[in-house]
Amino acid sequence: MKQLISLEVNGDTHEIAVEADATLLSVLRDNLGLIGTKRGCDSGGCGCCTVHVDGKAMYSCMMYALSAQGRKITTIEGLGSEEKIDPLQDAFVKEGAVQCGYCTCGMIMTAKQLLHDNPHPDEDAIRHGIAGNLCRCTGYHKIVEAIKTAAGN
Amino acid sequence: MALVKLKEFCIPDKPEQVDACVAKYGDNALILAGGSFIHGLEARGLLSEVEALVDIRKLGFAGVTFSSEGLRIGAMTTFAQLEQLPELGSAPWLGALKDALTYPPMQIKNAATVGGCLAAACPFFDIPTALMALDCRLSVSKAGAKREMNLADLFAGLFENSLAPGELIMEAKLAKPAGRAASAFIKLEGTANDLAIVNAAAYISLDGSGKCQAARVTLGGGVGDNVVRSSSAEQVLLGQKLTEELLQRAADAVGQDIQPMADHRASAAYRLAMAKVFTKRALSQALSRLN
Repeated sequence: MKQLISLEVNGDTHEIAVEADATLLSVLRDNLGLIGTKRGCDSGGCGCCTVHVDGKAMYSCMMYALSAQGRKITTIEGLGSEEKIDPLQDAFVKEGAVQCGYCTCGMIMTAKQLLHDNPHPDEDAIRHGIAGNLCRCTGYHKIVEAIKTAAGN
Repeated sequence: MALVKLKEFCIPDKPEQVDACVAKYGDNALILAGGSFIHGLEARGLLSEVEALVDIRKLGFAGVTFSSEGLRIGAMTTFAQLEQLPELGSAPWLGALKDALTYPPMQIKNAATVGGCLAAACPFFDIPTALMALDCRLSVSKAGAKREMNLADLFAGLFENSLAPGELIMEAKLAKPAGRAASAFIKLEGTANDLAIVNAAAYISLDGSGKCQAARVTLGGGVGDNVVRSSSAEQVLLGQKLTEELLQRAADAVGQDIQPMADHRASAAYRLAMAKVFTKRALSQALSRLN
C-alpha cells in the first residue's frame, strides 16, 4: 500500500507516493529521475549510492524513504550548477579520476563531507575517509589525487 | 528492501506510540534505529515476518555525557556523534571504545546508533565487544517502566536480544574505574568495510604494586552466538605482574571459552588462531596505554 510523503531534495520539495519499504535510493532514481545516485550492491557495501542527509554522507540504499521525511537530502545533482561545477567535481575532471564513472558520484559525495570536516586531510585521512566507497577501475590513486587537488594540498 | 508482509511504518513522536504499534503487531514489529543493519537482517531471512517498522529517531535518547562518574551514552547517539567526545582520546580506560569507532566507514558512522548496534545482537559487530570489556550497563524502558541490566544480559542468542516487545534501550553507561586502568580493541577484517572475522577487546587495571587487579577480555566476530567474555584469559592475568609472556598465556587461554564458527569469511580453525593473536595485541595495546 502506497503512502504520500514529502521529501526535500536539493532544495526542492516533492510529494511522492511510495511503498512503505521503498528506499531513499529507489525514490531518488525511480520516482525523481535523479540517476546520478547509483545503485551498486544495494546492500550498504559499495558506497555508490552515497547522498547527504542533513549534511551527512549516508548510504541511500540503507535508508527508508519514509525515514527521510523532514530531512534535507542532497544528491550529486545538488552540487554546483550547470555554469559552475563544484570544486570537487572540477578536481575529478582535471585529475582524470574517473574511469567507468559508476562510483564517481558516491565518491564525490563522501569526499564532500570529508573536506567539510577536515579541509586539508593528509593521504591517510583521505584513504580512510573514502573507505566506505569501492572503485573497481582506478586503483584509487587518481581519486586520492583529485581530493588532494580539491583540498588545495 | 523486500518486506513482503509490511503493513505499517510508524514514526512515533512519543514513547506511548511505540507501545501502541507494538501492541498491535507484537513480535512482528521491528524497532528501527539507524537502519544500517537492515540489509544484514534481510540477507539472513530475519525480516520475512515483519509487519510493522517503528522508526524511533524522533524520540530523542541522543547525546553523550562525561563526568567524574563515567560516560553515559544516549541510545540514539550515532557513532559519528560519539566519536566527537574529546575524552575518548584522553582517558586510557575508554581506549577500547575509541579504537572500535575508528573502523566503520563514514556512512555507517553517520547512520548507526549505539542502542541499535547493541539491540541487533549481531555476533560480528565491534562496538558491543568494546562496550562489554568496559562493563557496560544499560537503562531500558517500556511503557514508562525502567530497569537496568548488564550488557551481557541483553544478549540472548544469535540476533536475539532479551528485551520485551517494545522495550527500548535508553542509555548505555560506563562507570569510571578507580586507579590505573586502560583498554584497547582490535579487529581483523577482510576489507575496510566488512564485518569482523574476529575482534577482541581487553581492559586491565593495576593496583599500587603494579599487579593486575581487574581484567576483562571479550571477543566477537563469529566466536559465539554473541560477544564472548573469556574468564579463562582473565584468570591468567589477575593478581599477576603483566609481562608479555603472561599476556601471551592469557591470549592462548581464550580457546577454552570461544566457539569459533566457519563461514564464507573464515574457517573455525583460522578464527581460533586469529582470536589468540588479536587478543594478545589488544592486551599489549591496553598495557602500553598504562605506561
